[in-house]
Amino acid sequence: MKRVVILIRVKTFLEEVKSGSIDTDKFVSDVKASSSSMQEKYAPFITLNEGFGKATPQKGALQYLPVSVKDCLCTEGIRTTAGSKILETYVPNFDATAVAKVKAAGGMILGKTAQDEFGFGTFSTNCAYQVPKNPYDPERTCGGSSGGAGCATAAADFPHIAIAESTGGSITAPAAFTGTVGLTPTYGRVSRYGLIDYSNSMDKVGVISKEVYDSALMLSVIAGHDPLDSTSHNKGSEDFTKYIGKDVKGMKIGVPKEYFSSIDSNVKKLVEDAIAKLEGQEAEISEISLPSTKYAIAAYYIIAMGEASTNLAKYCGMRYGKQDKISGEFSEYFSSIRSSGFGEEAKRRIILGTYMRAAGFRDAYYIKALKVRSLLIKEFKAAFKGVDAIATPSMPMLPPRFDEIAKLSPLEIYNMDKMTTAPNLCGFPTISIPVGTSQGLPVGMQLIADHFMEGRLISLAAAAEVIK
Amino acid sequence: MSIMIGLEVHCQLNTESKLFCSCEAYPRDAQPNSSTCEICLGYPGTKPVINKKAIDHVISIGLALGCRINPESYFSRKTYFYPDMPKNYQITQYEVPIASEGSIEVNGMRIRIRRVHLEEDPARIVYADGNLETASHVLVDYNRAGTPLAEIVTEPDMKSPKEARAFLEKLSTILEYLKVYDQSKGASLRVDANISVDGGERAEVKNVTGFENVEKALNYEAVRQQNIVRLGRKVERETRHFDEVAKTTRTLRKKEFEEDYGYIFDPDLPVLDISDEWKSKIEKGMPELPDIMVKRFLKQYGISEYDAKVIVYTGKDFASFFEDVCRIYSKPKAASRWMINYLLKSLNWRSERISQSKASPDTFSELLTMIDKGEITERYAKELIKEYVDTGLRPSEIALKSGAKPSLQGLRDIVKKVIKDNTKAASEFAAGKNDALAYLIGAVLKETGKRGDPKEIARMIKEEISNASVAQ
Ligand SMILES: [Zn+2]
Repeated sequence: MKRVVILIRVKTFLEEVKSGSIDTDKFVSDVKASSSSMQEKYAPFITLNEGFGKATPQKGALQYLPVSVKDCLCTEGIRTTAGSKILETYVPNFDATAVAKVKAAGGMILGKTAQDEFGFGTFSTNCAYQVPKNPYDPERTCGGSSGGAGCATAAADFPHIAIAESTGGSITAPAAFTGTVGLTPTYGRVSRYGLIDYSNSMDKVGVISKEVYDSALMLSVIAGHDPLDSTSHNKGSEDFTKYIGKDVKGMKIGVPKEYFSSIDSNVKKLVEDAIAKLEGQEAEISEISLPSTKYAIAAYYIIAMGEASTNLAKYCGMRYGKQDKISGEFSEYFSSIRSSGFGEEAKRRIILGTYMRAAGFRDAYYIKALKVRSLLIKEFKAAFKGVDAIATPSMPMLPPRFDEIAKLSPLEIYNMDKMTTAPNLCGFPTISIPVGTSQGLPVGMQLIADHFMEGRLISLAAAAEVIK
Repeated sequence: MSIMIGLEVHCQLNTESKLFCSCEAYPRDAQPNSSTCEICLGYPGTKPVINKKAIDHVISIGLALGCRINPESYFSRKTYFYPDMPKNYQITQYEVPIASEGSIEVNGMRIRIRRVHLEEDPARIVYADGNLETASHVLVDYNRAGTPLAEIVTEPDMKSPKEARAFLEKLSTILEYLKVYDQSKGASLRVDANISVDGGERAEVKNVTGFENVEKALNYEAVRQQNIVRLGRKVERETRHFDEVAKTTRTLRKKEFEEDYGYIFDPDLPVLDISDEWKSKIEKGMPELPDIMVKRFLKQYGISEYDAKVIVYTGKDFASFFEDVCRIYSKPKAASRWMINYLLKSLNWRSERISQSKASPDTFSELLTMIDKGEITERYAKELIKEYVDTGLRPSEIALKSGAKPSLQGLRDIVKKVIKDNTKAASEFAAGKNDALAYLIGAVLKETGKRGDPKEIARMIKEEISNASVAQ
């Protein structure tokens, strides 16, 4: 008898597809129905793929697995907006490399998940489309900017993995707030080709999933050098699932004191419990200090906005995306398209970013921020001489309510990223895993490792994993 | 009043594909916007991947201009909004270029090179029915977008518009010798010229094509600025546009309205590492440079320095033509004289380069041999060259079929016939009677219908009669 569905683990599902015991036609139609109702309830998607399951997927590691893709990754023939109105009508004619790899492995693109416009946010509230709601409490945020990815992963009642993206914490934040696993690979581990740029020196394509295994599996599929991305690292891919189940005995974990002060006490408690759990498996825990972390947010936002303000220059209504009747001088036309096409936060970042790289200011801001980045990398590298990984909370608080967010100033929101900016700025891989709930809301722990040490993170995360 | 001129020369580099994508760089007879892709159109999500050949070219330019090749250089984004910019920023090199601090000698003057860097060309703007001011709208052709450009920046070392032109001519020859610049493919050189008088503020004349235009623009600017100074006013720092029709410059924008390009490192492109191995590989593959070639020509062919310079600096094709001729024809001095004074003139008349012309070393050598053998007169040879350049026919063929000018062989046959028919006059001349020569010349001219040079005919008659005497 063929099984229909379907709240089974990804691993089990893929094995059953291989053995032929899944009724794939029924599975496809059930997933479609389920994702439509999920969309009505929580709005994780900007665009659902109309063509989902129409073509027989390729044979491969992900055969028949529904995969959602953050909307900043280009998908051939499927609208790609990056959460912006200015790209409302943009349908790419090519797939991002990560998407092409998913397809080649048999994954089926379910839809494009919601995000803050171009990644500019921590709560997915800066989205020109519907804001995704937290399945734990629809009054609360899923985090951002990959909020839709976290939302879909938490809400899906079928096997599913999300392709997400992080610049300054956009995988860790939603993973923490939606009780999912978020894997942010080393900068350059996964090709950025086809990723709509936010801050190119920090953008990383990664994964949000229900289990550590799923993230490890997806990383194995999407990692590797890409001749189309000059910053993609020469390292090939490997089977990252092999790191699951490895003994963590003797592994050294550093706990940086700076990351545990002035944070929500419930969050602190749950993260400390999770660290204790690793200690129980004979990992060696030690307190460390990363004093330059206090400069990370400023340096991160300067570099990110500086780069973003140049990335966003291309959107001017001339070649793709939002267009209007051409009139007046080109500069008037560009201004009118950009004024109506960009949201508030995008405009803020363009203005700030342009200022920080302007003649007379760039040395004081942009160049200095680059120096801070080098300093931070040095400080982390020194720490990694003594520890295999660093453990911190993923977010300093529980997922806030939308009405609370509305009252926050931009600076207060930027400060929410204080756990994630340093490793993201420095290109270190991180993984966020759920470590329990407080007041019915999920809490995440972030593990950080040295460049290209995802394997270690996966071993530790699997050991600490709480399977709901 | 003293003049200071510095130049920024943008050279479109000779590569198959564009700088950051695989689109054809110089598509022939292509429809507008047909040689484009999502990368050179700057579509969201696309990333640049650098064309190594373009880097090779900039390294070789740097080496030829005596520059230091920087082991690490960086790409930056120069941001400004313009419809010809697919991304509204240009990828260029700002902080550290590929090559820095060189110099070349031009007519005994040393012109310092500040830097040579690599960047992408924007698209081409087409003003529909008009120009910058009058066109109702503009069209944009992105076929040019992403063409690799080397920007060569000099120090303000030129002291006159004429010197600037001489520099440009020398530079373009060097670029051509390096094979990094190929006009025949449609590549161009564009110049931004900075000029100041008496140490005042400088004006930049943007985007001038053609060295003659550069000289004209600079002359106009020099006079304009000198007049301002004479009136006791100060020259303003500004960017100016050269009107190719009126041959004047006018204000494009004042300093306070200059763009702030807000340079940042291009985060899509890693640091460019140029190893010693890479550099020496380029160095080994570099062709003979013009100044070295001039020296060799003096030694190898014994021609004058003036001739050698003209031949070499006329172009690589002209120099190769000369060397090919010398392989067939043994008198380099005569070859260079005829090439410079007559062949080059005819080519210039047609605005043709020798490589585009119908002339070949083989046929040109034939012409020189015919002159040496006396088969054609020098005077006629000068005429013949024009037709030769026009038609590409073999010189012997032109001489033969030409009714207007008797071939010398034909003339000689006529002379022989006249001597045979007038044995009396011939023997009188042989006996020393000069009147008889005049008679014989008259008889020949009668036969040719008054065509032919009397002196030439006299010489032939003398030769034929003395040959005949020897034979007797
Ligand atoms: Zn292209």
